[in-house]
Amino acid sequence: MAIFDQIDDITIHFSQCIGVTIYNEEEQKIGTLNDFFVDYEDVYPQILAIQYKRNKQLFYISWDDVKAFNLQKVVIKTDSFIGRSRTFPKAQTRKVITSLLANQFTGETMEYPALGKIILDKQIVDTYGKKVVRVNDIRLIRTGKTMRVTHAAVGLRAMFRRLGYEPIVDFVVKTLRPKSPYLTKETLINWKYVHAIPNRSMQSSVKLSLSNEDIKGIHPADLADILEDLDTHGRGMIFTSLDPKMAAETLSEVEDEFKANLLKNETTEDAAKIIANMDTDDAADVLSDLSESKKNEIIDKIEDNEIQEEIQELLEYQEDTAGGLMTTEIFEVPPDTPKTKVLSLIRERSEEFETIYDIFVTDKDETLLGICTLHDLLLREEDTEISEIMKSDDIKSLTPDVKWKEIAHFMSKYNLMNVPITGEGNRLLGIVSVDDILPWLLDD
Amino acid sequence: MGEKKESPQKLGLWQKTILLLGVVGPGLITANIDNDAGGIATYSLTGAHTGYRLLWVLTPITIALVLVQEMSARMGIVSGKGLADLIREKYGLKITFYSLTFLIIADLGNTMAEFAGIASAGEIFGVSKYISVPICSLFVWLLVTKGDYKIVERVFLAGCVVYLSYIVSGFIIGPDWELVATSMFNPDFSSMKRSDMPIIVGLIGTSITPWMQFYIQSAVVEKGTSIKHLWHSKVDVVAGCFLMLVVTIFIILCCAATMFHAGVQITDAKDAALALKPLAGDYSSALFGVGLFNASFFAAALLPLATSYYVCEGMGWESGVDKTFKEAPNFFTIFTALVVIGAALILIPGINLFGILIWSQVLNGVLIPLILLFIVNLCNDPDIMGEYTNGPIYNFICYSIVLVMFVANAAMIYFEIIR
Repeated sequence: MAIFDQIDDITIHFSQCIGVTIYNEEEQKIGTLNDFFVDYEDVYPQILAIQYKRNKQLFYISWDDVKAFNLQKVVIKTDSFIGRSRTFPKAQTRKVITSLLANQFTGETMEYPALGKIILDKQIVDTYGKKVVRVNDIRLIRTGKTMRVTHAAVGLRAMFRRLGYEPIVDFVVKTLRPKSPYLTKETLINWKYVHAIPNRSMQSSVKLSLSNEDIKGIHPADLADILEDLDTHGRGMIFTSLDPKMAAETLSEVEDEFKANLLKNETTEDAAKIIANMDTDDAADVLSDLSESKKNEIIDKIEDNEIQEEIQELLEYQEDTAGGLMTTEIFEVPPDTPKTKVLSLIRERSEEFETIYDIFVTDKDETLLGICTLHDLLLREEDTEISEIMKSDDIKSLTPDVKWKEIAHFMSKYNLMNVPITGEGNRLLGIVSVDDILPWLLDD
Repeated sequence: MGEKKESPQKLGLWQKTILLLGVVGPGLITANIDNDAGGIATYSLTGAHTGYRLLWVLTPITIALVLVQEMSARMGIVSGKGLADLIREKYGLKITFYSLTFLIIADLGNTMAEFAGIASAGEIFGVSKYISVPICSLFVWLLVTKGDYKIVERVFLAGCVVYLSYIVSGFIIGPDWELVATSMFNPDFSSMKRSDMPIIVGLIGTSITPWMQFYIQSAVVEKGTSIKHLWHSKVDVVAGCFLMLVVTIFIILCCAATMFHAGVQITDAKDAALALKPLAGDYSSALFGVGLFNASFFAAALLPLATSYYVCEGMGWESGVDKTFKEAPNFFTIFTALVVIGAALILIPGINLFGILIWSQVLNGVLIPLILLFIVNLCNDPDIMGEYTNGPIYNFICYSIVLVMFVANAAMIYFEIIR
């Protein structure tokens, strides 16, 4: 007798299996099916064992001991081994790390938590749709003698199925709108893209960390949206797992109200690394929201002295003025630099800058002598010195105390992508670029 | 980015108020939101119809409120999740769905109460409810979907200062303090009447509302209070509940002194305004009307909004006022439906506005023990709370409270419906 003799459908829903009575071969009742243990290392995890409940206690039985499985009845071998634990000890065989489980495989066996316990009704990250969703049901398929997890169901239909209203709702929809997408397309997330979110209670058993390639492939702006949708614990866990560069980029994109809290969870050293990786203007913004002592601790720990000083300077300015908005990372060159040298400098140092539209020409005292657009630079002969290309009269610049609104008007009036901000003696302090102003305009 | 744009040196009075209110903890805010239209009506009715007799009920209610809110706040801080979130993750979809359905019904009742408050306040100034309610509901809807809800919350809180006038009024009346103290701490239970039961359940329901527990927990989560500051949050909760107790006592006291002894029966909001007469004289109606309007109007915005948020949180739907209708259809549908249906029902000709104010609070009182069971149960789950679960004595008190509430509900249903 094959194990799935009485099931016709190839797909089986998690919710349909829960509560099914388990018998042994002598027709004695063992308990009711409560959950599944699956091999989280698989891309489409295979069922390893079933969890059942008897007198409110949880036990597990290996899938190998299951003789028959259908939605009315599960039969197990009479003398099968019964483990008394809420988790399943999984012996380590392979070292393939997939999206769901990360690199904590050190011991010989791993205590696996049950599938439903960590996925069903929980929030997960859909790394394909790049959002946080709540799982209403889990879809499995029959594969030979076993089952594999294929999708997380997040739609309305799965919700009605769980509530037991699927037949009624299906009937109503069929009568009213037979061609409704509700009937043909269920909202599913392919298991490849399912990311469990680390949970407080899971710390003791298995750490479902997200520090893997999938999360790193997500654009920082999308990751920021995902973090905002998570609870504080999951948010902190994911953020901490990011490397300083990714963390810095994500932190710049997160809504202001979350920034300080995310940084507070980090150790001072890590926070300093993240801050050092951010654009100085963003870094100053985040730091200004922290307490005075925490702010100073972090600044002290920044290794790069130049960045440290720049941030300290920026913190002196008001947030809504040119001084607070400007970045101090400017592409500046001395006047006698030849074009070829400028181009190779751009190539070498492109990593450091938000954007390069203009090249600022300064002397030893950082006095602004002229501006050369990338456009002008490209059009000229290779051996020209930059002082010949640059525009030096009527430079459009502002002082650090100008309010953001004025800057916006100024930039719009003269069609500028960047405005140089200069202090006493025309000393170049920084630049404000269009994208520093845009969020303020949008918020206004 | 919002308010942070203002430079700290040049703060106007307005910004200063906002900043100050921003520091006020979630416990204080929640306790204030408690004194909404339904609350004022219930307290006024209690004073006018029973005098000081039921003052003692406030002591156990306040203790219960402190415990419940402390648990909600603690859960928020420890788990970093909202209450609907936790209910869904622990009890699954079915239980969540039905609980939320009941809560939507209760909150529809509460929303109706807020619009009834708007209508009553309008009538004090001679504005027909057919004008005030549609205009205000439209305005509420626009304020939330197009405006900034944080501002709504703060204006609402600032307006709550009106309730302090009850305290002043109370001192002007100068009631028999000894009698007040006796009623509070050494009551004569033999004088209880059958008709007291709905009032007691209403008092419980208006003080410990189901939606408030969701509200305080998400406020704590949003604030990002860390576990280190658990103690601060306890102080905040106790201070908030105490403030609410004081205001409540004085409302009951003023109404008892001005109406109970004169034998005035409250049938509409105009009568309830009498309590402020010792303070405001002929302007008492206007003062009461302004206070009632403020409380009703802003609660009519906050309550449907909070409801939509926690329903979406539990069901896993997109939510947020900054999203478009297409991005978060369920969220906007729930919010709009609550406002529209709540307002429309108030417009039914001849409907008893004051009755709605009171009975919606009774409905809260019936539901709250169920929510409390969730809260106590979640608070005992080490998977959620880690080392911050309840102690045995704490649990004993909580379960006793739930039991007493069930008994009060059963007694009320017995007296009101069966007999």
